[in-house]
Amino acid sequence: MALIRETPRYAYELIEALGKTGLLTTEGTLYPLLSRLRRDGLVKTEWRESTDGPPRRYYELTAEGRRALTAFKNEWTSFRGAVDGILQEGTKS
Amino acid sequence: MTALHADQLIDGYLARLRVAAADLPSSVREELIDDMRAHIAEARAREPEETDATILNILDRLGDPEMLVAEARQRPAPVPSRQSSAWPGLYQSGILEIGALVLLPFLWVIGVILLWVSPAWKTRDKVIGSIFSLGGYPGIFIIGGAFGHRLIGVTSGGSCTSSTDSAGNVTQACTSMPAWEVIGLILSVALVVIVWLLPVITSVYLALRLRGGRRAQGAIALTEAGST
Repeated sequence: MALIRETPRYAYELIEALGKTGLLTTEGTLYPLLSRLRRDGLVKTEWRESTDGPPRRYYELTAEGRRALTAFKNEWTSFRGAVDGILQEGTKS
Repeated sequence: MTALHADQLIDGYLARLRVAAADLPSSVREELIDDMRAHIAEARAREPEETDATILNILDRLGDPEMLVAEARQRPAPVPSRQSSAWPGLYQSGILEIGALVLLPFLWVIGVILLWVSPAWKTRDKVIGSIFSLGGYPGIFIIGGAFGHRLIGVTSGGSCTSSTDSAGNVTQACTSMPAWEVIGLILSVALVVIVWLLPVITSVYLALRLRGGRRAQGAIALTEAGST
């Protein structure tokens, strides 16, 4: 979701971006996820003409999606802090 | 080098996807298939040279159709499918249950078999139903034959004389009947009444549990649809 915070993107772009991070091993699983986000109203889609092929479906965050992303970021930051803390405890002792 | 079997490979993949997704709501299924088709087209356009191997790689990276469908299934199910008549987990009770309830007091063995075969009751209720129906009325006769004499023996301790007066009223005079025998008599009468009613009460209880069970299962089906 963070990948479409600033600018709408189409699925293949997202897959390429995630592929670079090594987070996505089976590309197909992104589609059910996107479709779920859409049904939950967290992203909205729009078809746009492409210069080199058939129209593409672009994904964009909704206002609700933005809120969910911010909430997740906060949760993640505190979760990461907690895990880091425990790991550091482990190395100290 | 060209991909001689590109279309065959892609069609085969999409066909597998369609089969795997057969139980998904059609809107979800069609969207998934459309997404895959678009994805494959995008990926093909990016390959400088297309061979069967590049097509196979594209499909490999997409993942197993079964896995994609599993991913799509983790969530339900738009509302309409929740209203479909075939709720998984909702068991419609029928002739089996009626048979069990009716036969339990009379042909106990068959009733119990039906009771245990039916999925409409919980194991606890099946155990209760089997024990408290007391073997049905045939079973009660057998139990009565074995233990009845003792009860009679207990209650025949006092000597009673009946006399009819001039008005035709029957009076019964009992002599030297100890209190414990009176209690015993009352208890044994109560016991006989309870024993005779128990198979019927058990059937009624099971009938009520049957309805409750259906409601509970319906509720579970709803929760599953809501939470998965």
